[in-house]
Amino acid sequence: MQIRTHHFATYLCWGVACLSLHGTSLRAEKNWLQFRGSDFNPVVTGAKLPIEFGGDEKKNIAWRTEIPGRSVGGVIVVDDQIITTTSTGMDQRRIQLLSYSSKTGKQLWEQEFVARGRPFCHPTSANAAPTPASDGENIYAFFSSNDLACVNKNGQLLWYRSLASDFPKAGNDTGMSSSPVVVDGVCIVQVECQGDSFAAGIDTRNGVTLWRIDRPSKANWSSPSSAKSADGKSWVIMHSGSDLLAVSPKDGTVQWKIDIGCSTYSSSLAINNRLFVPAGGMTAFDLSSVGKEPSKLWDENKLSSNPCSPIVLNDRIFAVNKSILVCSDIYTGKVLWQSRIAEGSIWSSPVVVGENLYLFSQDGKCSVVKLGEKQGERLATNNLGEEVLGSPAVVDNAMYVRSVSALWKIAE
Amino acid sequence: MKSILPSFLTLICLSFVVIGSGRAYCQSTAKTLDEIRAIGIGDQEAAKAAALVSKLNQAKDLTLAQTLRAMKGATPIGRNWLSGIANFKYRADDPQAKGELEKILQDRTQDGEARYKAYVWLTKGNEKLKSELLPTLMEDPSPELRYASIESQIETAKDAVQLQKLLSAARHPSQVVDLIKKLDGVGVKVEQSQHFGFIKRWNLIGPFDHVGVKNFNKVFAVEEDWGANKIQKTYEGKNGKVTWIEFTTEEKDGSVDLAKVFSNEKGCIVYAETEFESPIEGAAEIRLGCINGHKIWVNGELVMSNEVYHSSSQIDQYIEPIQLKKGKNRILMKICQNEQKESWAQRYEYLVRISDATGKAILSN
Repeated sequence: MQIRTHHFATYLCWGVACLSLHGTSLRAEKNWLQFRGSDFNPVVTGAKLPIEFGGDEKKNIAWRTEIPGRSVGGVIVVDDQIITTTSTGMDQRRIQLLSYSSKTGKQLWEQEFVARGRPFCHPTSANAAPTPASDGENIYAFFSSNDLACVNKNGQLLWYRSLASDFPKAGNDTGMSSSPVVVDGVCIVQVECQGDSFAAGIDTRNGVTLWRIDRPSKANWSSPSSAKSADGKSWVIMHSGSDLLAVSPKDGTVQWKIDIGCSTYSSSLAINNRLFVPAGGMTAFDLSSVGKEPSKLWDENKLSSNPCSPIVLNDRIFAVNKSILVCSDIYTGKVLWQSRIAEGSIWSSPVVVGENLYLFSQDGKCSVVKLGEKQGERLATNNLGEEVLGSPAVVDNAMYVRSVSALWKIAE
Repeated sequence: MKSILPSFLTLICLSFVVIGSGRAYCQSTAKTLDEIRAIGIGDQEAAKAAALVSKLNQAKDLTLAQTLRAMKGATPIGRNWLSGIANFKYRADDPQAKGELEKILQDRTQDGEARYKAYVWLTKGNEKLKSELLPTLMEDPSPELRYASIESQIETAKDAVQLQKLLSAARHPSQVVDLIKKLDGVGVKVEQSQHFGFIKRWNLIGPFDHVGVKNFNKVFAVEEDWGANKIQKTYEGKNGKVTWIEFTTEEKDGSVDLAKVFSNEKGCIVYAETEFESPIEGAAEIRLGCINGHKIWVNGELVMSNEVYHSSSQIDQYIEPIQLKKGKNRILMKICQNEQKESWAQRYEYLVRISDATGKAILSN
């Protein structure tokens, strides 16, 4: 009975949310500061994106800018700058951080370094694989070769670190792709591989390592995220094939650690005192108890999210397992519906704009899916005609997409 | 007259002060550049460099050319700091910078990474200049410029003479393999393993126990005996007594397939031993492609160690400097296989060669 009441509440909330979405703007992102957006849950309400775009007629493509080299990371948006990375030249050793005007797509500045770590990767990937991050002031770019650089919004170099020079066995010749996050003035990187495997917190002011913790010696491509404890403290959440933990961003102190096998591709999501972890399909934890290890709320093996990361809209959680979109209740994990929404390989994580989910497959086709109460309805499949592995960013009624060789602005 | 003299003297004095302070400023900028050139690894060095760069970002007398020239002889970390400063200094429409960039590109004694930057900036949006410059860079000491030059010609080269010329200049494995295939297409056979100089003859012994991937660092008797130059004919292996096998690879790419030789044994270690008759004395490189955990010793010294399994493998995947003696050089490899069951985790092989610093093969006499 309790569950039924719960479900009724869920449906009520869902209905209210849908009504609201059809009304005025609730919240439109002004910046998109890291992989999966500024709060790791890439949901934008109050923005308007075209349902149909691309194709031969380049419908609703505001601009497209060719970028030399290759990238499989996503873009970030800082003020009116679209920022991305690329790796070019022999063995993709030239690593670049590039800024473009959101209005025109014209390049504003570029920064370049030479990879000092191992630049090798699988042909599907690139040295420029992680999505850069920003605190709104400066930009932090990380590469598969474990080079980390910080520049200001004019592209002026503030600091640079070669983590592979400090730890020569850090690297993975299949390619690394964990994206950095910035929490409380600390840039956190997760460098998990068979060699020197660690996570580190780097002082955003000068590039100095504030802390470093050993991590399991196995390849891991998932990215850290952040959460707030019940008493308002910041946590950095990270997971691997054998554990899930929260650390303090300032000093790396482990707040809690749970032995659990998690996905080594997709990342976790914390929202409203709940933590959703891609483990055993999906596992939800309760973060509301102060000073205690989070307790498990539920797990649902059908809600597998691989390699995309999960997304929460109101009382529902969505996961893309290969090309199937699965929708579950966030309180119970119960699968409410599932729909095939795409074809081919998928690496990019989806975004939700209004009531529609946008998901790119590797071959550059974007499925636009209306998230209904009982099913996902595919509204359109839009072809950019170029490989897309990075996740899009949505700001001011526009979606910015990094294909492996270009940057796109999609807007009406 | 009285009123003019003090003013005149003041002006002279002020000029000295201005010139003097200007000179001091230049010296300070040059000193800061020198300090950045020497930046090493670690946190203290990073903090020091961040402070120095903050100072240089304010220096109005620092030019793009100065920054690129400072990369010569700088540490790898220092070069990246300087690269970052240079990128901020660079403005495509600066005619003075263009002249300096041309000089830097043409001066082969300048740092290769700086010269490659100069090349990229000079040819940005100028395909004509690019097509003029690239053929002149085929034998360039900068690996990146040489690579770019060959890459620009590889598609259009059709006849055997052109292709052989490119092959002779090529150092990057992907280009070498591509050119050998193209030469084959025009009827010229080049033995790939010979061109790369892969070592084909080995003495192999194993399998030794590596169940649970626990013996990567265990010193087996064979390892100890090889160090003392007293190897035995037989050893106790994982499944009983083992003896040395003389093995010459017939694989086209020069790889040694241990899975084949040791019947797909898993959780094991194999040692491979050989002698390399060097025609030269001095610095060289040992270059390995291997998808398994491995260690290599040259003349008793451990030169390579990577405990990585089934990540990836390619020619020249791992490169380490070595010192060759003229004549006999002893090489020992320890190659470790884990127990992964996935179909993509069954390979147990390696390919190794000795080269100069550019990647050109040094062949055993």
